[in-house]
Amino acid sequence: MSIHSINGCIGCEECIKSCPTDVIRLDPKTKKAVIKYVADCQICHLCRLYCPVDAIIIAPEKTIPVIVSWG
Amino acid sequence: MSNPEDNHGLSRRQFLGLTGGVAGMAALVSMGIPPGWADNTTAVDLQKRADKAYETDVLVIGGGMAGLFAAVKAHDAGAKVMMISKGRLGASGQTPFAKGMFAYDEKTAKMSLDEFTAAVSRSALGTNNPVYTRQMAEHSQARVNELKEWGFFDSVLYNKPFSKPITERNIPLIERVMITHLIKENGKIAGAAGFSLDAEQVITFHAKSVILCTGAGGFKPNGFPICDLTHDGTVMAYHIGAKVTGKEWNDGHPGQADNAAACFDGWHGMFERKPDVTGVEIRHDLGVDLNYIAYINGNPLEGGPPPELMRKNKVKGGPYKPEGFDHSSPPPGGEAGLAGGPPPRGEEPPRHGPPPGGEGGLPPGMSQTPVGGSSAGMAIHKSEGLVPINDQCESTIPGLYAAGDALGSYMAGAIYTQIGSSLTGSAVQGAIAAQAAARYCQNTPMPTLSAATLSTIKAEILAPLKRKAGYGPAWVTQTLQGVMIPNFVLYIKKESMLKAALAYIEELRDHHMPMLRAADMHELRLAHETANMIISAEMKLKASLMRTESRCSHYRLDYPELDNQNWQAWINIHKDAEGNMQLEKQPFGSWPTQA
Repeated sequence: MSIHSINGCIGCEECIKSCPTDVIRLDPKTKKAVIKYVADCQICHLCRLYCPVDAIIIAPEKTIPVIVSWG
Repeated sequence: MSNPEDNHGLSRRQFLGLTGGVAGMAALVSMGIPPGWADNTTAVDLQKRADKAYETDVLVIGGGMAGLFAAVKAHDAGAKVMMISKGRLGASGQTPFAKGMFAYDEKTAKMSLDEFTAAVSRSALGTNNPVYTRQMAEHSQARVNELKEWGFFDSVLYNKPFSKPITERNIPLIERVMITHLIKENGKIAGAAGFSLDAEQVITFHAKSVILCTGAGGFKPNGFPICDLTHDGTVMAYHIGAKVTGKEWNDGHPGQADNAAACFDGWHGMFERKPDVTGVEIRHDLGVDLNYIAYINGNPLEGGPPPELMRKNKVKGGPYKPEGFDHSSPPPGGEAGLAGGPPPRGEEPPRHGPPPGGEGGLPPGMSQTPVGGSSAGMAIHKSEGLVPINDQCESTIPGLYAAGDALGSYMAGAIYTQIGSSLTGSAVQGAIAAQAAARYCQNTPMPTLSAATLSTIKAEILAPLKRKAGYGPAWVTQTLQGVMIPNFVLYIKKESMLKAALAYIEELRDHHMPMLRAADMHELRLAHETANMIISAEMKLKASLMRTESRCSHYRLDYPELDNQNWQAWINIHKDAEGNMQLEKQPFGSWPTQA
């Protein structure tokens, strides 16, 4: 699952800025961080380390996309 | 591709992954989703684009350790500077994960600079450029001292200490912009162009000089934090005619068998500690030894320091290690600090950043079964990138400089030789390139930018968003990974497999790369990154085929010996006037001429 959940976000955008692979974006309505591109998470934990309120939970597993003939 | 938000919470790729292609289409029809769903309906309205243009003397591309010093020192040398980064200052590329920084302290070092350089050259089997090896050591303490002033060694995270000198100097910094093109006019650098991840926006830079601090790259492998590095700098410089080098070498960092994708877990908390300073300790590490053992014996490998590793796994042959660096003989000359062997057993493994000083090529503290390929696609730090024409980090294109992992300086050689020198080398070369670029700008008028060139570049940048059909970048990347990452292709090489892999990569280059599509700005980034990885894969395979010997981190099963008669040479790659990839030898210790 890689980055798993964000609970208690204060909307500071630290995680969004700090993610090297652009996994997290700001929800334009709620103004909170949301996990948008989870397949690109490299499980480096920078978002968690930069988060000032410890809102981010990360799992060590990754869902590898299945192989298809074209895509 | 449809916008993920339009598919009831499932992206099209996720949906196909769950259901399979044809079954997925049938299911979508049954769900009442219109048959036009497969079109690449982008979330981006290109009509609403508000493009931006900037002008500066020196454009620094990349916000890691090299970029930091490039921006600061170019500013201090009197140039007007702008800094741009695909991610965040101090929080993208490999810099945020590098925790060991080498300093040569002349008061305490037990060998002279010349002896240090000579020892690195012995370990590197001549593959290093001693001018850059010595320069790194000579300037290391000064850069470390500056970083201390900025609070670097007091912080786990680097954004704050990196921001200090940048904000103090009011250096304009733009983050989350991917540069895809360098612009050359009349044979000289004239700027760069790219796009914002956050706005529907193409951004162009008109500049007298550009310093590439874009790091190296890989094939987005699992277990090593380089998934945002895709050789962007190398490939865009190649496309405007620059010479690049070092593509046959391999970084041999292993990952771990359990949760192989988890970079953080594999590095056992190293990302959570403050950086420190390392002293002289010359090695010959992190080539493809583990890959060789795994190729011969299969997994699982038994761990431990190299002599034990070889004995436990009962392997003969494999990569050659020079005398004194094979972990079974005393260090050459008996110099203290010239570590040929591991620390005594039971001692805590040294805590260093990439290249880590872990024993047997394992990251510090790693105790799991190691598996290969965690850094697949990346060469040894500083051994691949733009070819310098002198000791000033100047490329073969006038006005274009590179520093750190974007410069093929061969500072360490084609194997890891000095712990902590990778981070230090980036700082040192960033400063050297900056001063050279600032001098260049003093004597250079602002180049002209033609409207036709800009128009062509903008069209190339946006093309994946405009394609109604094509290939998703994630799938093309996955296909490329399947071709390039296996141990029997990238690491334990032989002609037949290299040629087979090259056929696949040429297919991706000729047929799929021109049809990469993107649904939003995130995917536009993935599309351009994928194209860069395809070109880098082609370079790696062709250079690996050309080098008919084994040396340092390049191992050929069909040419397992060193060939000092024919291969005291680096391989340089450039694009010729017809657009074809050309490879040529450049003898060790020589410089090419500028274009």
